[in-house]
Amino acid sequence: MSIKNNFKKGLNIRNLIIFSTFIFCTNNISAAEGGPCKDYGECDEFKYSLNDMASLQRGASTFLNYCYGCHSLQYSRWGRVATDLQIPEELFFENLVFDKSIKPGDLMTGSMSKEKSAQWFGVAPPDLTLVSRVRGDDWIYSYLRAYYEDSSKQYGVNNLVYPGTAMPNVLVALQGNQKLVCKDIPVIANNGGEKRDELGNTITKEKCGYLKVEESSGELTKDEFDELIYDLTNFLVYVGEPAKATRERMGWYVIFYFLIFTALSALLYREYHKDYH
Amino acid sequence: MSEMVGKLFGWVNSRLPIANTFERHLSKHPVPSKVNFWYLFGALASVVLIIQIVSGIWLIMPYSNTEEEAFSSIEYIMRDVDYGWVIRYMHTTGASMFFAVVYLHMFRGLLYGSYQKPKELVWIFGCAIYLAMMAEGFLGYVLPYGQMSYWGAQVIISLFGAIPYIGESLELWVRGDYYISGITVSRFFALHVVALPLVLIALVFLHLVALHEVGAGNPEGVDIEEYLDDDGVPLDSVPFFPYKVLNALVGIGVFMTVFAIIMFFFPEGGGYFIEMANFEEANPLVTPEHIAPVWYYSPYYAMLRAVPDKLGGLIVMGSAVAILFVVPWLDRSKVASIRYKGIYSKIALAFFGISFLTLGYLGTVGVTEVRKTMSVICTVIYFAFFLLMPFYTKYEKTKEVPKRL
Amino acid sequence: MQEKDNTRRKVLIGLTSAVGLSGIPFAATPFIAAWNPSAKAKAAGASVKLDVSKMQYGQQIQVAWRKQPVFVIRHTKESLQSLEVTLPKLADPDSNQIDEPYKGINPTRSKNAEYTVIAGVCTHLGCSPKYHPEVEPKPWDASWAGGFFCPCHGSMFDMVGRVYKGVPAPTNLPVPPHFFKGSILTIGEDGGTA
Repeated sequence: MSIKNNFKKGLNIRNLIIFSTFIFCTNNISAAEGGPCKDYGECDEFKYSLNDMASLQRGASTFLNYCYGCHSLQYSRWGRVATDLQIPEELFFENLVFDKSIKPGDLMTGSMSKEKSAQWFGVAPPDLTLVSRVRGDDWIYSYLRAYYEDSSKQYGVNNLVYPGTAMPNVLVALQGNQKLVCKDIPVIANNGGEKRDELGNTITKEKCGYLKVEESSGELTKDEFDELIYDLTNFLVYVGEPAKATRERMGWYVIFYFLIFTALSALLYREYHKDYH
Repeated sequence: MSEMVGKLFGWVNSRLPIANTFERHLSKHPVPSKVNFWYLFGALASVVLIIQIVSGIWLIMPYSNTEEEAFSSIEYIMRDVDYGWVIRYMHTTGASMFFAVVYLHMFRGLLYGSYQKPKELVWIFGCAIYLAMMAEGFLGYVLPYGQMSYWGAQVIISLFGAIPYIGESLELWVRGDYYISGITVSRFFALHVVALPLVLIALVFLHLVALHEVGAGNPEGVDIEEYLDDDGVPLDSVPFFPYKVLNALVGIGVFMTVFAIIMFFFPEGGGYFIEMANFEEANPLVTPEHIAPVWYYSPYYAMLRAVPDKLGGLIVMGSAVAILFVVPWLDRSKVASIRYKGIYSKIALAFFGISFLTLGYLGTVGVTEVRKTMSVICTVIYFAFFLLMPFYTKYEKTKEVPKRL
Repeated sequence: MQEKDNTRRKVLIGLTSAVGLSGIPFAATPFIAAWNPSAKAKAAGASVKLDVSKMQYGQQIQVAWRKQPVFVIRHTKESLQSLEVTLPKLADPDSNQIDEPYKGINPTRSKNAEYTVIAGVCTHLGCSPKYHPEVEPKPWDASWAGGFFCPCHGSMFDMVGRVYKGVPAPTNLPVPPHFFKGSILTIGEDGGTA
């Protein structure tokens, strides 16, 4: 087809669509610039499930037990969390809120003063209300599972996702001691399969930088720990935007409404179009 | 009862030209009978303008324009205000959609020569609207006082510093402080919610008045005023109501569906509509790792980076917008529509479109050697499209334009 | 032919307008709801607590609940007796005209026979009435038996905030939700059935 013909049919809109899809498919900005997960490589993919109340409740419990000591959720209100996560208010305040003077309408401003914590950790532990929106959920999910023993660091741990992180591995008792190990991995041949020697054995090469938990050094198995972090991340996604589940639910109705409206107005337009064609 | 209403209307109408204006500009206003989807974006732009004004007014109410509270007041809107998130996402999505629609509207202008005599003023008012929108969008982006607000504003205000002699004091004067502080936010707030909306509305009004004076165009570039019926109405026209209204209604339906998909499912637009770093409060001591403007400025940002000189970059960026204003005098073609223009115009427009989109992409990603070279090439193409226009439009072979639509 | 065309047209116009118009209330909802008190305002207006055991007999204190004055009065025996005296002067002694939350529990209108808890905002035009517990002739009433007098427009209320006849205020001063737990009075919460 010649350029001329193409133009008549509106080549430009097609170009435009191809180009915009191209631009939008390059994922989000920070991902385009080397991985946000640094030495970890690709971040592990995280799929939130904000309608899974059990997961969110477990996540909230983990957060309040392990994280809230240092990290506030300063834009979030206690009562809202209880309501949104469908935890009966009494139960919530009895089991998860340790300061009894707190009222449901109060903000979750943290239990530690900023100055004191800055003294202890060198930097004040950041507020985490919006961390899932700043870093992304994939990042959090990977980060919390990427601690490893490194005696050169202040707390004896380092992190592949966030090298030199100032936060100690609070969950080490649950996870166990994770170490960087080397592994023999199959060499990939040019054709994409595994490379084999004459005897048919796979040729392997040692590669380092893999995370491995010391056998039964933690209270949880790897799967259990991953699930714990999943729930925790899920909770942080919720806290980052409490209206998210509602938003996505409402969205379907709004789209449905506009589709009907479009269909009807298209029919009406066609009806009137007959007047002059 | 109806008699009384009729009387009242008559009383008002003999003092205020309601019926006349309504007939002339709405109900009976003749529009070309054959246009395509490109002619919908003007109507869509006015729909977004209304969305922006209404949602904007509602955002002013809970927003706090101080350094201490600006950021947290956004979270207050997102969490504590009933349906606040709907209103805010409406406004952020609306901002991006406004630019998307206006870019398509402008491209329609280039495609079908909607700036040609006698529509020069329509085009110029349109360019002024675009310029005002860019300012409006920038000012609005600073208001949440997140990291991107801060550093984006830092970069843009520093551009003033490139102006010889007065640059540095101008920067300080705009900020009113040694950094982008509460007073800067407060100023930008006043401009964003009062001054520029007034300018925008006035310009839109002028844009429409000028358009209605000379009449809407069509993709064939045919002058429908040539063939009139006995009442002086163009033969190839239909009344605005109900035909154009119904046509626009379909467009609005499709547009609002897209709007809703973005607003309810992708409000951050993958970091292009609301950038991730803007969920972190402004910190004048820490620059985020990656600074990119929102997508609608990124072509100009890429041009800025393509020039290895501060003042030069500013001049190139400014000229890229300024050159749009003179397009009516750059096009020397006998025909308006791309359908009847020659091959050079078609190639030029295609190259222009591609280079603009490429610049847009380049503006959002980090700089590498290759990307920088590409930016330079695309910037050259961008300007060549305009600067060579007088030549390729004049000397190319055009096709015969039909008499009727 | 033409007739049939018009029916289709009319039906479509009807349907499209119906769908279009039905969207308006939904589109308006966020804008209307956004004016409701926010979670922040609700949190700030939750409830206030105070220890009333330190109050002297006959003392009236003013507490702010939702930034509005609430009067707490600890009655003396005399002031409780004055309620009988003023009875004939009252417009609505049994609080039938307002939504009285703790009706018939105590003559003090509260959950406690010793204290009265009332909104300190005149039901006329919103001024705050002044406490005048003295039983003595007053410029506004020669046989004043103690109560509240509004300086703005001269409305009179008895010691438990019931309105007098013939004054501009239409109804008794309302009783906000409250409960006592020991000597702690909580205003703004009902405290359940207790």
